[in-house]
Amino acid sequence: MAAGVAAWLPFARAAAIGWMPVASAPMPPPPRDKRRGQDGLIILNVSGTRFQTWLNTLERYPDTLLGSTERDFFFHEETNEYFFDRDPDIFRHILNFYRTGKLHYPRHECISAYDEELAFFGIIPEIIGDCCYEEYKDRRRENAERIQDDEENDNNKDMVLPDMSFRETMWRAFENPHTSTMALVFYYVTGFFIAVSVMANVVETVPCGSGPNRAKEVSCGERYALAFFCLDTACVMIFTVEYLLRLIAAPSRYKFVKSVMSIIDVVAIMPYYIGLVMTDNEDVSGAFVTLRVFRVFRIFKFSRHSAGLRILGYTLKSCASELGFLLFSLTMAIIIFATVMFYAEKGSTATKFTSIPAAFWYTIVTMTTLGYGDMVPKTIIGKVFGSICSLSGVLVIALPVPVIVSNFSRIYHQSQRAEKRRAQKKTRLARIHAAKSGGANAYLQYKRNGMLAEAEEEASKHAGQALVCKSNPTFETQHHHLLHCLEKTTNHEFVDEQTYETSCMEVSLAKPSMSRSSSMSSSPHGLSSCCTRRNKRKSFNVPNSNMVAGRRGSIQELSTIQIRERPMSNSRSSLNAKFEETVPLNSEEQSYITAAVISMPTPPVTTPEGGDSSSSHNFLQSNIVRVSAL
Amino acid sequence: MSSCRKRCKRELLKFAQYLFRFITGTLNADSVEDELELSAARHRPEALEQLEAQTRFSRKELQILYRGFKNECPSGVVNEDTFKEIYSQFFPQGDASTYAHFLFDAFDTDHNGSVSFEDFVMGLSILLRGTVQEKLNWAFNLYDINKDGYVTKEEMLDIIKSIYDMMGKCTYPTLKEETPRQHVEIFFQKMDKNRDGVVTIDEFIDCCQNDENIMKSMQLFENVI
Repeated sequence: MAAGVAAWLPFARAAAIGWMPVASAPMPPPPRDKRRGQDGLIILNVSGTRFQTWLNTLERYPDTLLGSTERDFFFHEETNEYFFDRDPDIFRHILNFYRTGKLHYPRHECISAYDEELAFFGIIPEIIGDCCYEEYKDRRRENAERIQDDEENDNNKDMVLPDMSFRETMWRAFENPHTSTMALVFYYVTGFFIAVSVMANVVETVPCGSGPNRAKEVSCGERYALAFFCLDTACVMIFTVEYLLRLIAAPSRYKFVKSVMSIIDVVAIMPYYIGLVMTDNEDVSGAFVTLRVFRVFRIFKFSRHSAGLRILGYTLKSCASELGFLLFSLTMAIIIFATVMFYAEKGSTATKFTSIPAAFWYTIVTMTTLGYGDMVPKTIIGKVFGSICSLSGVLVIALPVPVIVSNFSRIYHQSQRAEKRRAQKKTRLARIHAAKSGGANAYLQYKRNGMLAEAEEEASKHAGQALVCKSNPTFETQHHHLLHCLEKTTNHEFVDEQTYETSCMEVSLAKPSMSRSSSMSSSPHGLSSCCTRRNKRKSFNVPNSNMVAGRRGSIQELSTIQIRERPMSNSRSSLNAKFEETVPLNSEEQSYITAAVISMPTPPVTTPEGGDSSSSHNFLQSNIVRVSAL
Repeated sequence: MSSCRKRCKRELLKFAQYLFRFITGTLNADSVEDELELSAARHRPEALEQLEAQTRFSRKELQILYRGFKNECPSGVVNEDTFKEIYSQFFPQGDASTYAHFLFDAFDTDHNGSVSFEDFVMGLSILLRGTVQEKLNWAFNLYDINKDGYVTKEEMLDIIKSIYDMMGKCTYPTLKEETPRQHVEIFFQKMDKNRDGVVTIDEFIDCCQNDENIMKSMQLFENVI
């Protein structure tokens, strides 16, 4: 909650008087106010720049340097002021934090200097206000990345873990060729053979002069068939060995097999083996020839060696939808113009526009401003539409190129930014939610702590571990007292979401077997439910109950049984004192609940919590104990 | 007929303008209207001495109050939205806006839609330093939504519902639909002596003075400042 609103707390508390006449329960006593000292001005001298503020302003945050007694270490007697040998420009923001409750991050400041100042003054950076939080996180991440990069560059060269298995060494050698000379050699050898294989594929088809016993020219591949075959075999040997080695060394074989690079590898070497298997079979020789085309995919193996290719591939993949849409719109334009041209040229004789699909070729060639000239319109109207087609082609083609380029850069930056934002969004939302529910949860926590503190005072049988209760500042105590008054007015309690859900389920499931009291009580349902309530202790002494003295540190692991006593009040008073008494079970985890039956005698007179006396009631109490396991 | 012609002419003119702008390439007509910012009502409170005389606060207390007030509302007056926002921050689990609305009406004694520092401090003076009679008077004024001197069941139901709204959803036991109504019934049974369906100020004060709990709770916030 902003510290500024804290000034309005007295008003909110005063306005609570409006609840008093309609309250259904007596109010809790107000917290004991520490007599506040005189509010005085305090001088903070930061490297010569004097800042002055009220003492109360600084005391708002008692767990920082300035708000606690830690500042006494910096007190300078001669000048009667507090002297800090720090940066005054950044101190300005820190002091503003005390004033307004919001910490801002100045953009021109260096992030590490700012962080140092925050650390010195004991302020956690997480409370930076929403307006500056993203900027702060961005700068911080950049800084961290820079440091990390520096470290990585140093470490990676000579990081040799002595006890890496052979398999891991091999994998590392494959992934980072710079790690060892063997890996480097292997890297260059495979690269060389990829190049050789691709070159062989290309050269195979070059005409090599006529052979001795043939009339026409043959390609080199047919002339030196054996040589090329040997070369091909050698390359495929190397590739196969490499693939198998990678497969063996991969930490996760399944993932490796699924990866793109391995698929490229497989596609590169498959044709050879398939060719080996089905030789000299006339029917499938056509398919066999097609398979050889796939050998050209070996060129993609270069992408392991070139990071640029990988990035290009990635960006094409991410641009795929834009490209697809582009293609679709182009197709639409082509179909339209082809139809028009076909019908325009239908009349003329010996026209090349024999069908609409035939006109597709003309449209594409014209729109991309290629203009081969193999198909031209002859009729006037054909020429008119042809010119419109080429003009619009210029438009249609000129548009997508920058669009693709800008898409590329936009998508690239966008994905980067989206990643950042997504990473920050969860934490950001969590922070907002935490801040919001922090207020509510703080109160629930306070209730537990507060009541425990009361129990410690009144029933001093809990000789267990001493409670380490963080001393709440006055504001928090008063705010909690206000919320407590509201609870008493409405005779309902604040609970957290889990308990609410649980009790909702319980109410819907459980049968209302309890008899309802007269309409005097404002909380009609008399079910006692086994909620996963946190540990709440009652302040009065109940004999014969198995109360466990020691309280575990983690309250949340305990599940409790709640026993409600329904008072049947005879008096006309509308106040319905509701008592709760919980008995903690010795269970460590929430899922492990032991059902227990506890019998209790009914105490004749019970004192309500908080010590208010309401002894004017004659109670006929019926202890209804019902235990149900979740 | 002439209106038809006028409309046609207007449409034609618009189309011609559109065509012109299409050719010259200035289609997006930026309609930038200078939004007249309502100058926030600035209000300066009365002098410290006067306020000291009119309320039961000391000088120092008034200073502290004013500093807090001015921090949240630099313009010197609180309008209803700011009021609701400030009040809602104290009750994060529920919806405090309805009750804040009633409170605002109770503080805004001259009904001008804003609460100045004087209104604020007068109200606080009654609530914190007033006699029990004055406090009860103030509470009755709060409940009496239309300020006619009578508190009807409907008014009371509104008030009680707004109080329950502040609790929010996650309560134990879960809030039921008829809980506020039952609460109102209890209240009326206690307060409405002559069973005429409304509670007058005298009935209210009488009944409260006879109730120990209420009397005690009135003294609860004496030392808030």
